[in-house]
This record gives sequence, structure tokens and C-alpha cells, in this order.
Amino acid sequence: MTDCLSALFSLLIFPGFAFLLLCALAFQWIDRLVVARLQGRVGPPWYQPLADLIKLLAKEDVLPTEAHELACAALPMVSLAAVLTAALYIPVGKHSAPSFEGDLIVVLFLLSIPALAYFLAGWLSGSVFSVVGGNRSLLQYFSYEVPFLMALSGPAILSGSWSIAQITAQQSHAPWIVLVQPLGFFLALTGLIGKLKRSPFDIPKAKSEIGAGPLTEFSGRKLALWQLSLHIKTAVGIFLLVDVFLGGASIGLPAPAILVFGIKALLVLLVLSLVDVLYARLRIDQLVNLGWRVLAPLALVQVLVVILIGVG
Amino acid sequence: MNIDLVLQVLHERFPTDPLKPRTVPIDETVVTLTPENLRPAVQTLIERFDLRHLSTITGIDTGDEIELLYHFWDGQGLTLRTSLPRENPHTVTLIDLIPGAAFYEREASEMLHIVFDGHPTPDPFLLPDDWEGAPPLRKEEAP
Amino acid sequence: MSRITIPIGPQHPALKEPLSLLLTAEGERIVESTLRIGYAHRGLERIFQNRNYVQNIHIVERVCGICSHVHTTAYCQGVEALLGLQVPPRALYLRTLLCELERIHSHLLWLGVLAEHIGFTTVFMYTWRDREIVLDIMEELSGGRVAHAVNAIGGVRIDIDSEHIDSILARLDDLERQIDTFLGVVLHEHTFQVRTHAIGRLTAEQARRYCVVGPVARASGIDVDLRRDEPYAVYDQLDFRVIVAHEGDVWARTMVRTMESVESLQMCRQLLRNLPDGPLAVRAPRHVPAGEVISRCEAPRGELVYYIRSDGSDRPARVKVRTPTLPSLAALAEQLQDINTADVPAVLAGVDLCIACADR
Repeated sequence: MTDCLSALFSLLIFPGFAFLLLCALAFQWIDRLVVARLQGRVGPPWYQPLADLIKLLAKEDVLPTEAHELACAALPMVSLAAVLTAALYIPVGKHSAPSFEGDLIVVLFLLSIPALAYFLAGWLSGSVFSVVGGNRSLLQYFSYEVPFLMALSGPAILSGSWSIAQITAQQSHAPWIVLVQPLGFFLALTGLIGKLKRSPFDIPKAKSEIGAGPLTEFSGRKLALWQLSLHIKTAVGIFLLVDVFLGGASIGLPAPAILVFGIKALLVLLVLSLVDVLYARLRIDQLVNLGWRVLAPLALVQVLVVILIGVG
Repeated sequence: MNIDLVLQVLHERFPTDPLKPRTVPIDETVVTLTPENLRPAVQTLIERFDLRHLSTITGIDTGDEIELLYHFWDGQGLTLRTSLPRENPHTVTLIDLIPGAAFYEREASEMLHIVFDGHPTPDPFLLPDDWEGAPPLRKEEAP
Repeated sequence: MSRITIPIGPQHPALKEPLSLLLTAEGERIVESTLRIGYAHRGLERIFQNRNYVQNIHIVERVCGICSHVHTTAYCQGVEALLGLQVPPRALYLRTLLCELERIHSHLLWLGVLAEHIGFTTVFMYTWRDREIVLDIMEELSGGRVAHAVNAIGGVRIDIDSEHIDSILARLDDLERQIDTFLGVVLHEHTFQVRTHAIGRLTAEQARRYCVVGPVARASGIDVDLRRDEPYAVYDQLDFRVIVAHEGDVWARTMVRTMESVESLQMCRQLLRNLPDGPLAVRAPRHVPAGEVISRCEAPRGELVYYIRSDGSDRPARVKVRTPTLPSLAALAEQLQDINTADVPAVLAGVDLCIACADR
């Protein structure tokens, strides 16, 4: 009984749905505030992301007649479900996730599902802008995903385990992987920016070119679910990077685990916000160029270095 | 642009045209030609003086006739003026000589119902697609 | 590869004003473009004939929101020439001051819009914030941020005292520092350059064929600026450079406009420091003797032409307005040929469209 209750608690409260929702809203607020202040603006009040979510849920939900109704209803839910499931296997603070050997691969796979759902949403929602956006999102996916996967393999090879919890645990008595594989961390961050479709890689939803890209025709509840899945993915992606590269909750000093974890996550978020502010948006062919000519070779170098030097 | 030289050349090429050059503010010379000589005059200006900057084409319905003014500029202004009859005004297009004249001709054609022979796109330019009324700059209809 | 038609407009995030540009794309490459304007056509040339010369000043001002003052300058200048009026020097100085302030504000606005279109929101926020300095100055001088109602036939309606001059000069110094930062971004920031270099190229020959004017022409190597070549107001007494570039792409246009803003700033300083004393206007009769005039001004977007014909009454017989955006629109099809879909907003922005001007 208590097992059942504690499982329910983990799923729904911490570090489950409620916690992730809270993190998604909090991270969104901090990101918007930091970007605003750096741009010379004031930024939104703390309750803005929550207000936006509630507002969207209450709005009318319309789709063009050419749109595939069932798919458009299912895809945002699929995206959200994938992201939430991925979160199950990522340790937060001291909380131990149900881990098994290979859960890193499972998590990466689950985190790719939203990208494919996004692309399909573009093709099936009945607008020229969303089709173009969908095409771009798929091109973008191939450009960042390969370096991202390779960058995340480095720590796994080094730690000798493909379980996130294990990789994190190992860093409590060894230097953080970011210090040993800084290139890998840089590539993982770049890949994360592409995954989250943040500037300079917000190409599929380039406002000035194609409306809102694949999500142009979505509104109301469906759009609320899409946005929620994107923001929870932000939180989940950051948690993943903190666990794999920054040692999770460990700091070598006695300190509350959740606090340490939280500070590391916020630092990663700050870096993402800074990059958002500093650059113009790239064009899709420029990103593909960058991904295959610069990032993928660098990732390959990093993996080779780990194999040759690290494990030995 | 040496305006005196331009006037001299125009006078030599079109001795039968009234020309009647007069200076008009601000730093502009207006020259009158017959409609048939307008295109050759523009050709002369382009070939002899490389005068290709057409500022705009003004169409005016004076009540007696339709006046077309082609405003050129190169340091100073030169306007070529010609008159067309009010019913069925026709003239030749200049867009093969000066592609930039296309918009101005379309506007004059739409606002005053002037036909520019050889102009390929006589679609609505500024007026809405379902415009039913008379050309707006003609004098006949009530404001 | 199949063709897809992308509608840019009449409503689109890349457009500040309505126009319809239908792009046919093969993959990410544009193969064809169809332009339709006239969505903001208000029939102003007809309206001018039904109002008297003074009423028309207010209508002329509203041809465009961004370059409203230069429109009234061109119009009033024309009517003053028909009347044979000698506008007092102080009035001409103030008129020119507002022209140059308006040029700075227009170029800063434009830089922000271009940055926003290439996804560089930070530069957009900064330029529009610094544009507020100019808008505040214009509001203090005239009472309006957008429509200034400064020009009258015969002079100007505003005045300025020495304390105000000092305050403006101090703020212009702040603005100059900010514009230098933007110039640094244009010259050195990598992502800005990859999004603007070699995009929307227009050769000098193409520009001449379409009679393109203004910064777009100057960015393609055509060295024409009406302020130097046919000076009006007090431009013959000012010391300034005409900025010309040769690449003809969006980056060159950005360079030209940003450096022109710096020149305008210097001109504002000269105007404020050398402001002569004297009356602000001469009396203008209501009836304008029969005649015609062609008044040209260098608006922020290029050569602005007003042709006015009077018949001796108090209403003009014909007012023809040719705004500088029109030839740029004519040349747009060439610039859009064979470019990437993603570069379309940059090209549109690079041309600095003012559709209200073009449609009238």
C-alpha cells in the first residue's frame, strides 16, 4: 500500500507531474525575465507563465478544415506524454529514479518523440506555413541530434554505464564530467538549444518568415499542451545535462541536495538565456552546415578522445 | 546635365515640335513634344546623355485634354510634356527603355484611363480589384 | 521538386503594412514572386484637389507616419515657390533640423525592424529604446511624436530657446554613443553578417534601370543624394558626407543607413549651434497664382517628388506625389529571384518599405 502511495506521489507530485509543471513555469519565467532585462525591458511578473497557460486552456480551439483532426488532437498529448515519461528516469536532487542499465538511451529516444510529433503537426495541420516549418524542423533535428547523442555518449563511456543515475552517482567521488569533457558539454548545450528550438536555432518557428511554423494553426487547449510540453522539455533537458555533466546534486560539501541541483539547473538556464539574447537566427542551410561540418566532427573527436584516453 | 545642350539636341531632332522650353520652380525645365515624338525623345536622352532617371509620370485631366508629364532628373530636372485627346488617349510604353516606368504607367493608366501600348500588365495597381467607378483622376465624375 | 505558394501578406508578421507578395518556392528557393499593392490606398491625390492649400498640409503629413515631416517640407516648399515667398532663415533651419531628426528616427526604426526579421530581437529592443530619445526631442519641439505639424506655408510653427538647445545637444551625445554600438554590431557581429551579406543583391545597373533612389541606390554604388546635388532648405550650408557602398546587398544598405544616421546627428548639431535669429514665418496668401512646381526632397527612403499645379484659386489643380518606396518595390522582383525563403524578410526589410507612402 505504502509502495503504491509512494509511487503515486513520485508520479504525480515529486518529482512527477506537479514538480515538473512548477519547474516548467518557474524556468519559463526566469528565462523571460533574464532575456527581458538583458534587452533593456522590465520582463513579466512571476505569475505570467501560469496566467498564459490558464488563458490558453480557456481559449477557443479551432483548426482549418484541411487539418487532420485526430492527429492534431493526439500529437500534443503524445509530445507531452513522451517528455513526462522521460522525466521519470532523470534523478532530481537526491531522489533516486527507477533506473536500469540503458535508461540514458531510452530517455534520449523519448526526448526525440516531441520533435517528430512537431514535424507531423506541421504536415497535418493544413497550412503552407506549418508545412515549411515542419520541413525545417526535420532538417534541424538531423543537424543537432547526432552531435547531441554523441556528446551524451562521452560521459556514458567514461563512467562505464548507460544509466543516468549511475553516471550521476559516479560524479560524487570523481571530478564532474564537464571538467573532463568540456567540449562534450558545449556540444550537449548546443544540441539542447536546437532541441528546444531556442534562438539562434528557432528556425522552424521563425516568426518573421513563416508565422509560427508547425504550430501556426493550433490554438486553445492544443496549443496549451504544446507549450507545456516544450517548457517541461526545457526543464527535463536541463536536468539531464546537470545529471550527466555537472554531477547532479553532488558538490563535495555538505549542502541540501535539492538546493545544489537547483542552482546548477539555473546556471544552465542562464547560459541558454544569454545565448538567446546574443545572436541572430541562423538560416536552415547555415544550421545544417554548422551541424554536419562543425558539430558532428567535434563530437566524434570528443568520443574518440574519451575512448582512447578516458577509459584507459 | 547640361540643359542647354539637351535642348539644342532635342530641337535638332524634332524641329517641328513646339518644344517651348520654360523654366519652372524648383530648378526644372519643361519641354513640350507631340505624342509620337515622346518615345524617340526619351531614346535620345538615354543614348546621348545617359539620362535614365525617371522620377515619375504625372497625368493631368485639364478638362480639354489629358496631359502627360515625364519628369527626368540628373542634377537638374527636365520634364517632357505631351498632350493626348480626352477620349481614348493612347501612347507608347517606355518600359523596355526604362523598366522603372512600369509602375508609373500603370498608375496613370488606372487613374486616368490612358492606354500605354505594349505595357504587359494592365491589372489593377492601386485600386481594388472590384473597382466599378470611373477613373478617379478624370474630371467627369463627382467627388 | 514540387512548388509551394507562400503568401506573404496582406497580413504577415514580416510586414508592418499590408501588401500582398505571393512567393512560389521550390523547396527553400524562391522561383517566382507576384506583388500586389494598394491595400492602403486612400485616394489622396484626388482628395488634394478638393481641399485648399492649408488643409492639404494636414493631409500631406498623413501620407506616411515615419517620414511625415519631409512630406510637408516638400509640399510647403513647392507652394512657397509658386507664391514666390522667401522663407526666413530661422524657419529653414528648424525645418531642416526636424528633417534630420526624422531621418535618424526612421533609420533606427528600420534597423530594429531588420534585426527583428533576422531573429535578432535584442538589437530590435535596443534600437527602438534609443529611438525614444529622438522621439522625445521631436515631441518637445512640436508636440507630436509622429505627426509634427511643424511646417506652414511660409515657415514653421515652432520655436526653440537656448536652454532647450543645450538639452537636445546633450541627448544627441548619448544617442551617438548608442549608434556607435549598433555600427559595431553591423560591422563585427558574425550572425548578423551571415544573415545579411550577399542577400538581396542589386547591381548599380539594375538600380538605375528601375530608377531606384535613396539608401538602396547608394548601397549599390549610385552616388546621388538630393541634399548635396539639389540642396533645399539649408543643406547648402551644412557640412556632411554622402555615404555610398558598392556591394548592393542588405548588409551594404545597413551600413549606409547606420552611417547616415551618424551624419544626420552631426548635421543636427551644426543646425542647433548655428541657428540664426529672426522671424519664424512670412504671411502666405490663400490664393496661389497659376503655375506649376516640382519640389524634390531627400526623404529617409530617397527622392520624394511633389508636382503641384495651381490654377489661381485656393485649391490645387493637381498634386502628384511620388514616394521613394515605389521604385524600390519595382526592383523587388529582381532581388527576390532565386533566394532562400528564409532571406525574404531580410530582403523586404532591407528595402525599407513604406507602403502607406507607396499606396497613398
